[in-house]
Amino acid sequence: MNPVVRVRDLVKAYPSGNALDGVSFDLEANTIYGFLGRNGAGKSTTMSIITSQLFATSGTVRVFGEDPYENPRVLGRMCFVRENQKYPESMTAAHALRAASLFYPGWDHDVAEQLVADFRLPLKTKVKKLSRGQLSAVGVIIGLCSRAEITFFDEPYLGLDAVARQIFYDRLIADYAEHPRTILMSSHLIDEIAGLIERVLVIDGGRIIMDETVEEATSALTRATGPTAALDRLARGHRVLERRTMGSAGALVFHGIPSEAASETASHAGVRLESVGLQESIVHRTAAAATATGPELSPSSMEGALS
Amino acid sequence: MIEEGRALFLQIAESIENSIVDGSLAEESRAPSTNELAAFHRVNPATAAKGLTMLADKGLLTKRRGIGMFVTAGAREKLRAERRAVFAARFVEPLMVEAATIGLNAGEVIAMVKDRAAAVGAQS
Amino acid sequence: MSQTARIANVIRLQFVNRHPFLWVPLLVFGLAVALSLIIYAMIPETGPKYGGAAQAPMWTFLFVGVSAMTLTFPFSQSVGLARWEFYLGSLAAAAVGAAAMASAFIVQGFIERATDGYGMNGYVAHLPWLWESGWWAAWLTFFVFTLMAFVLGFWSATVFKRWGMTVLVAVLGVLGVAIAGALLVVSRREAWGEVIAWFATAGSLQLTGWLALLTAVLAGLSYLTLRRAVP
Repeated sequence: MNPVVRVRDLVKAYPSGNALDGVSFDLEANTIYGFLGRNGAGKSTTMSIITSQLFATSGTVRVFGEDPYENPRVLGRMCFVRENQKYPESMTAAHALRAASLFYPGWDHDVAEQLVADFRLPLKTKVKKLSRGQLSAVGVIIGLCSRAEITFFDEPYLGLDAVARQIFYDRLIADYAEHPRTILMSSHLIDEIAGLIERVLVIDGGRIIMDETVEEATSALTRATGPTAALDRLARGHRVLERRTMGSAGALVFHGIPSEAASETASHAGVRLESVGLQESIVHRTAAAATATGPELSPSSMEGALS
Repeated sequence: MIEEGRALFLQIAESIENSIVDGSLAEESRAPSTNELAAFHRVNPATAAKGLTMLADKGLLTKRRGIGMFVTAGAREKLRAERRAVFAARFVEPLMVEAATIGLNAGEVIAMVKDRAAAVGAQS
Repeated sequence: MSQTARIANVIRLQFVNRHPFLWVPLLVFGLAVALSLIIYAMIPETGPKYGGAAQAPMWTFLFVGVSAMTLTFPFSQSVGLARWEFYLGSLAAAAVGAAAMASAFIVQGFIERATDGYGMNGYVAHLPWLWESGWWAAWLTFFVFTLMAFVLGFWSATVFKRWGMTVLVAVLGVLGVAIAGALLVVSRREAWGEVIAWFATAGSLQLTGWLALLTAVLAGLSYLTLRRAVP
């Protein structure tokens, strides 16, 4: 299939270092992607460059096969409301929605109205006076109602409470089911969006370290708990990412899935096997990537950063 | 409802299988659509579609062009047979492992099973 | 959506809130006229009295230009506009605003002519030098001047966005020094008489032509600066 977005060897250099250090990936049509990674990993930078808001130092971006720079044919089919989006002075929330609707032929006024009610967004309030959550709501409504063929959500949940986030996720699925499109959503709430997304792109230190389906990501690691002797036998030949022990019992997280026979033997020895959730899987593998290429980071410090 | 770790499409397929087995989704009736499943389980429609495809491949659902998926005639009995086949491995074996750990022998377990069965029977 | 429709929508985007482009400058104009009339009423002189208060609303377009760039530009980028589309649409919006202001100015001038300067020979809009080639020449001068204020504000903000405060101050400083230098040269050569004579003979129309040229150059510079600006 032809990718709708093709990113190759993107480098964004700043005097303080490279924000992006050779980023390459494709986005396929009609797929929801989770764009994950620690703060400062390069998520917003990448999305800004794809939409031509920011310029890469080197590398190429193709959207629908074309260079997006100053190219309305391509830019007009994308929507990227930034996490810290600026709005014109003295614009109200109603103004912002009406202004955005001008540029998207597929804009859905009914869904917009419904979402305004669901989020209890005060339409007559100036955008600069809105709370963090209300500001996020404006961005979410624009992103969803634009029905843009490629929509970017940059941490869309900031300041939204659990109820509002659930409204967003439910609306996203319902609207996506009716009007499939390509969505790239950055998030730190990995487990919250694990069911929504089909693929994960994980960026760390300006490089893509994971680009796979959610199923691949969650089945890549195995957790085993039980007697340490049996655990060691089971993990032989696998790359162990985490090892914790307490007396003669322990817990291991390792790469790969043990063979049927090995699992059988282990379970008779009292070992319990389970696969690892998406968030934990990403935490472990981000930590592993960091130790392989850079300074050592403990998984526990990663967990705090990612959640 | 959605547990961590196991592939979501398997969980969705299983939830439909459960409905077929317990009769709430009758044979020859229309199965939930991809979009209905996606909205209900709060998952990506592609995941829901994968669950449905799996059931169709197993012959439990039949696609009727332009209308949707329908529960195949005989699907319920097929599922019951399938589950009976794995009942011993899936339920009895862990039961006996736990019984051995806490020092219960087979006779005691059987007595408990009979006892419980009577209670469940009285309730339903 | 056609290309023209997209650019027309940028005009609508700039006019989603009509305060900065229309109501604020009109309010400033109204206040300037009112203030001038109060002052004229206090002057016992019976001959014609002229004032320059009508230029006040032109300068509000400096700030309109600044805010079109600093706040509307980032929004335009989030809804998938190319920079050139945003720029053309914004210039067109400024032209619409400037035309409205120039028209208000002309209407005011006609009122002054009809009422002999509000019955006290006081003029804010009907200034002989501007009107000597006709009302349309006065309209054009006001229009071009207002548009130039917008472009100047827009360009300054773009320079600030791209290179920061230091470069903006440096650019404005260089412009200021150039103007001061020119004034100094005129003074040193004691040539003020010639300069005034030139302005008088050139007339408002020729001056407007030069102003239009300057505006076009600034507009070109603005676009070149915007091409690589980041919201």
